[in-house]
Amino acid sequence: MSDHFISIEGIARRFPAPGGGATTVFEELWLSMRRGEFVCVIGHSGCGKTTILNVLAGLDVPSSGAVIVDGKAIEGPSLDRAVIFQSHALLPWRTVLGNVTYAISSKWRDWNSAKAAAHAQKFIDLVGLTGAEHKHPSELSGGMKQRVGIARALSIEPKIMLMDEPFSALDALTRGTLQDEVRRICQETGQTVFMITHDVDEAIYLADRVVLMTNGPGAVLAEIVENPLPRERSRSDFHKHPLYYATRNHIIDFLVSRSRTFIEETRGEYNPRRVTIVRPGLPEPIIAAGQTSQALTIPVRGQQAALG
Amino acid sequence: MSTFDNPFDPSRALNRSGCSCGRHISQAQHEQDAARLQCLPVESDERRYENVVASAVMRALFPKDIARRAFLQSLGASTALAALSQFFPLKTATEVFASGGPIEKKDLKVGFIPITCGTPIIMAQPMGFYAKHGLNVDVIKTAGWAVIRDKTLNKEYDAAHMLSPMPLAITLGAGSQPIPYTAPAIENINGQAITLAIKHKDKRDPKSWKGFKFAVPFDYSMHNYLLRYYLAEHGLDPDQDVQIRAVPPPEMVANLRAENLDGYLGPDPMNQRAVYDGVGFIHVLSKEIWEGHPCCAFSASKEFVTASPNTYAALLKAIIDATAFAAKPENRKQIAEAIAPANYLNQPVTVIEQVLTGTFADGLGTVQRVPNRVDFDPFPWQSFAVWIMTQMKRWGQIKGDVDYAKVAQEVYLATDTAKLMKEVGFTPPAATSKTFVVMGKTFDPDKPEEYLKSFKIKKAV
Amino acid sequence: MKTASLTGRAAVVSLALLFSFLVAWHFATRGSGVAQSMDPEYAKLMGATATQGKSAMPGPYDVGAKLWEHMRRPFYDNGPNDKGVGIQLAFSIARVAVGYLLAVAVAVPIGFLIGMSPLMSKALDPFIQVLKPISPLAWMPLALYTIKDSSLSSIFVIFICSLWPTMINTAFGVASVRREWLNVAKTLEVGTWRRAFTIILPAAAPTILTGMRISIGIAWLVIVAAEMLVGGTGIGYFVWNEWNNLSITNVITAILVIGLVGMLLDLVLARLTRLVTFPE
Repeated sequence: MSDHFISIEGIARRFPAPGGGATTVFEELWLSMRRGEFVCVIGHSGCGKTTILNVLAGLDVPSSGAVIVDGKAIEGPSLDRAVIFQSHALLPWRTVLGNVTYAISSKWRDWNSAKAAAHAQKFIDLVGLTGAEHKHPSELSGGMKQRVGIARALSIEPKIMLMDEPFSALDALTRGTLQDEVRRICQETGQTVFMITHDVDEAIYLADRVVLMTNGPGAVLAEIVENPLPRERSRSDFHKHPLYYATRNHIIDFLVSRSRTFIEETRGEYNPRRVTIVRPGLPEPIIAAGQTSQALTIPVRGQQAALG
Repeated sequence: MSTFDNPFDPSRALNRSGCSCGRHISQAQHEQDAARLQCLPVESDERRYENVVASAVMRALFPKDIARRAFLQSLGASTALAALSQFFPLKTATEVFASGGPIEKKDLKVGFIPITCGTPIIMAQPMGFYAKHGLNVDVIKTAGWAVIRDKTLNKEYDAAHMLSPMPLAITLGAGSQPIPYTAPAIENINGQAITLAIKHKDKRDPKSWKGFKFAVPFDYSMHNYLLRYYLAEHGLDPDQDVQIRAVPPPEMVANLRAENLDGYLGPDPMNQRAVYDGVGFIHVLSKEIWEGHPCCAFSASKEFVTASPNTYAALLKAIIDATAFAAKPENRKQIAEAIAPANYLNQPVTVIEQVLTGTFADGLGTVQRVPNRVDFDPFPWQSFAVWIMTQMKRWGQIKGDVDYAKVAQEVYLATDTAKLMKEVGFTPPAATSKTFVVMGKTFDPDKPEEYLKSFKIKKAV
Repeated sequence: MKTASLTGRAAVVSLALLFSFLVAWHFATRGSGVAQSMDPEYAKLMGATATQGKSAMPGPYDVGAKLWEHMRRPFYDNGPNDKGVGIQLAFSIARVAVGYLLAVAVAVPIGFLIGMSPLMSKALDPFIQVLKPISPLAWMPLALYTIKDSSLSSIFVIFICSLWPTMINTAFGVASVRREWLNVAKTLEVGTWRRAFTIILPAAAPTILTGMRISIGIAWLVIVAAEMLVGGTGIGYFVWNEWNNLSITNVITAILVIGLVGMLLDLVLARLTRLVTFPE
């Protein structure tokens, strides 16, 4: 009933194990995303984050369950769901312009090369690579290559952008710059984004919601943390926000211990369809429309917790 | 005895058959035909052609025998002829017939192997014999006997230089598909030798050759048969006591040098070349094994002969012409110079000269003079064919019964060659078969099976 | 002191090796120089080896002089059996070109098929493994027998022998295209044919061209062998003709020329390989 632009409905992914039986990556995942939302998934390596992304992209087929995007079930990869890979995946025999126009001409088959080039140029400028159009990927730095990947994904104006740890291979400075760019672009264009990361600060900086995943195999979505930071954040002072550390600590606590123990602790009570939403530090509980979920408040140091 | 001997020599028989023109079984038959204007005593080639043409015209004018005879009886033969020539240009027709008719295919390719056996075929190009008979022939050097056979079979060559057993082998289907081939002319007689490595210069007695490794150019070759005959006559079994293998001629010298071979019976100039390079010596010339043995032949498929008879006739005439020229000792030096260059034999001129003139170094320090070391005689005696087939049977190359006479006749076209020899002005022998002597033993072509049985050493059946 | 560049130093070593080889060759083929005593008339009829003790193997001077002679007049034509080395090479190269290009035209598509379809890969594998090791000298008689034309047979033999490296390398290159590029194609909904031409082909191109480079080497090898077997105009035939004359000097000259042309062909293919190789 709610405005679910993307609805992950009970997907599971299992592999036949050598020696009989099956390895379960995850079982019965439910998640929904609104249009224009920026969601980050955080979890340890091997929990299955990339698998979810692949299922969303259509590169992988779930063993059961389905994903509905904009009212239609996914049947395979689509130009509507652009992927930015961890290792940029640029075609080395094409220039920067060539790589972006390749994507454009894949979407709009009848555009002539001039039109496609002009369109590509817009996005090349957007990611700050003006002047590098005719360079080959081997002539670019890691950061520049990732920018091309972003430009390529944006240029086809997809319904959703899927990003698989896009900045983890970059140095801290470049990472920071690119995070700013991506945030700016996505806000400007109202792009819906699903991103995987294991950098907590990055997640808090970029996301509207952070999904916490337990350890694999058989991982589950433990919590969805709603980002209390306002939409207008800046790199220089977002960490000064009063609720920043509450959020950060909560997530780190989860990663340090609860990602391992969550399933055991909540056995019997865990409902995959109703994942706990956590809103750090807000005084009153808010019950989201149509969702009978529990809301927790996390006390800010010194204040009393109020449960309602 | 060569074909080019004096025809007025009383010791040579001219006619085999019983009549004066040579084409009837008895004189009585001959006279019968004479009355029908179908055969007059032959005075010259021209007369003969004239008569053929005249009788053709007569038959056309008077289809009914009775009418023709009535015409003739009323006028008499010569008047009849005169009357005819009013209507029909007999002389012109005769000339056309004598020259053999229009050539169907002027540009021909003839394959050759670069050995001196092929001298008539090769020399006919630079010395203009092909051109003289109206043909434009390219002589193509070929890599080996098997290749020359394949290229003639697949019609890349119109005719080729072959070893004299090869047309027989091809017709009989030994070693390839049976396809009727012809050998209307023999290229050369004699011209081979047994050459041994220099280190064997004290081992001249064949009985000391047990365990030797010999080479011949091809399994179906006079070289193979002559070597085996020679060894057998000296008590060695060619299959048990020595090794014989097929080696391409140029590799014979190299192998001799490398001591992979102890000797070979090969074509010239490989024998002389071994002497020239100081690696071998000439032990015995092939003419001492069998004086007048055939070696290589000029060969064409039966298809070519029947489909393009005029071309075939012209080609054969050119080769016979060349052969006759080569038979004269005074021409040999000139021929050597013509065929030595890279386009033909590609050998030093002196080597070719030594082979053709017969004045040669023998590898043991002496200069020998054997003028007809190699000789040229085109007549394909059918008895050659029969001898070859007995040897093929002796060593197991053909099995089963062979109609020696029939195959010999079909392949060795003695009658054709005889006719064309006359046209170029030489006199062929009247018989197509003769007896000859090989290493002291007489061969009678009419008794092939007995000859075959008379050998002690042969392949066990 | 600045060390000379690597290329420069390598050149010096190469030249030194060449020089020492030439010197050794010269001394090895000097011959005994002893003239045997023999009858003068006999001596006239004998070759230089027997009379002057000259070595049967030619020395570097002889080969050099012969090489110069051939280079001076490369295009003479004295008849069907005697043409200049330039003409012979042209014929051989033409045959190689036809056979080789045919082989590439067949090998690349089949290689693609094998690389993209595990089923076809397994199905075709036995045939490839059996046909691959067959020597051109073994194919030649069969070809002559069925095709009946010696030029076409040579081209067929070149074709059948130079097919395999290109085919196998193409299959390998196609099968090893990076997963992530294929994923890019998938997420961009690129159709099969477009994917084959715009992703798989450029990705596999360096491997394919390496296979082609091996193939051209084999093709050049084969033509020389084939021409020695069947004759006709060509550099292999030239070697055989000179071998017939036991002219080792010419044979060595021909071998040098063959090696040089082989090297040039390889250089061309190497260049092409570099053109399609894009580092990441």
